[in-house]
Amino acid sequence: MNHNRQSNDGKHDDDSALSDFLASLMDYTPTIPDELVEHYLAKSGFQCPDVRLIRLVAVATQKFVAEVANDALQHCKARQAAVVKDKREKQQKDKRLILKMDDLSKSLREYGVNVKQQEYFADSPSTGMDPATRDE
Amino acid sequence: MNNGCLENRKKEHDNSQKRPKSYKFGSKSDDFALAIAKVAVAQLCESVGFQGFHLSALETLSDISVRYIYSIGKTANLSANLAGRVEGNVFDIIHGLEDLGSNLGFSGASDVDRCVVSSGVVKDITHFVGVSDFIPFAYDVPGFPVVKESAKTGSFWEKGEDPPGEHIPSWLPAFPDPETYATRLSVENETMGVSNGKKTESELERVERNMDRSLLNLQLRFAHNENKGGSSHGSGYVATESNPYLAAPLHVGEKEVSSVVLPTKLSNEVALRNPVHVDVGNHVSVLETFAPAIEAMKSGLCDSDNVKKKLLYDQRPTVRFKIGIGKKSLGTMSDLNSQNEEDLLKIASWFGNDNEKDDKKRRVEKILKESVESSKE
Repeated sequence: MNHNRQSNDGKHDDDSALSDFLASLMDYTPTIPDELVEHYLAKSGFQCPDVRLIRLVAVATQKFVAEVANDALQHCKARQAAVVKDKREKQQKDKRLILKMDDLSKSLREYGVNVKQQEYFADSPSTGMDPATRDE
Repeated sequence: MNNGCLENRKKEHDNSQKRPKSYKFGSKSDDFALAIAKVAVAQLCESVGFQGFHLSALETLSDISVRYIYSIGKTANLSANLAGRVEGNVFDIIHGLEDLGSNLGFSGASDVDRCVVSSGVVKDITHFVGVSDFIPFAYDVPGFPVVKESAKTGSFWEKGEDPPGEHIPSWLPAFPDPETYATRLSVENETMGVSNGKKTESELERVERNMDRSLLNLQLRFAHNENKGGSSHGSGYVATESNPYLAAPLHVGEKEVSSVVLPTKLSNEVALRNPVHVDVGNHVSVLETFAPAIEAMKSGLCDSDNVKKKLLYDQRPTVRFKIGIGKKSLGTMSDLNSQNEEDLLKIASWFGNDNEKDDKKRRVEKILKESVESSKE
């Protein structure tokens, strides 16, 4: 009995938390526009007249993209830190953080998305590089 | 294989080559949505800390985010349908999010009897909303896809007409104008059917419209006249078609179809009856029924007073091809002619000059013969 009452109270709290959260979503406009989310939800067959659910999906997607981008950023910074050990010049040049395919593929690997580029053969490890950035 | 040191080459490679995309998310119709997604993802990456992207990486990430939305919708729709509902629910969406997040895991995933409401996924999202900055989308996005208004069917109800007869519902398309199928008995009874007053559309459009109607009418006429045996004289409208079995029998020596004789006969008759004095087109052949508009233009070139023509058949019900170009608008016609004189002359030459009468006659006979043969079949 007690257990049930507790669970009931817990449910009420959770319900209120959820409804509060959905209400708060209306204030927070996600970066992903509602029309875009509506378009793809309609494409998948999901019908819902409630705007809050659209916002919920938009916020969830935003969270996903932010996490993936964050992981890619970590990989990029890690690579730059590894290179900086060898040369100081590189640090000044590569201050810009650029989202690249292999950083992205490494971070997406953890989310179960396999993004792999085709391997290709080159004459030497430094083929096609800028002369300035070429390693000795 | 160190791909990182070949970034410049890769950049060029990516920019020049288009990647093959799957049909669902890469088709042309989806370009707009994908472009919007690219902008949104770029904004998010910028907020995370990136200062630049490779185009391929940006496209990949935006494609994946779009698929994420799609898969949430698909899973939510599936759980809604399983529950016997058509419209989705917040619980359906949370189920979908849990399915997608089960890879990485969320708090409380291993609990056996947990409520969806207290799902760890929602808590994560709540935390994220509290932590992240507010970044509005860079552009105003219109509602898309834009719904195209369907063409009006031209029903009775839309036109405001009462359908003739109670058995005809009002949502059916309206009957065509009587002008298209009406026939008049003789030239004397004819009047300038189209008043000069009402000109709702430009004269060229009207002429073209009449030409189209005339063509259709002509074809209907050929089909109709085969049934009638060519003995009718065009009394009454086509709408009141008589029973072909009750048509008057042919007299001895009378032919059902006459193709060769017709043009000269017709031209003679028309020359007699035609009140229009046309300088250029002195003989009116059947061919010109196929291009009354061109004839009108030609006669307009010659500054005729009245461009209206009535073409009569000898042994067939009269067919009226009205080209209602009044005096009022003749000025515009001549203006048009002066501008496009060369073009009009070119068009007129396509349909034969006056110098090529024989050629025209031959062509007319050929066309008539073909139509007669086809209707006989």
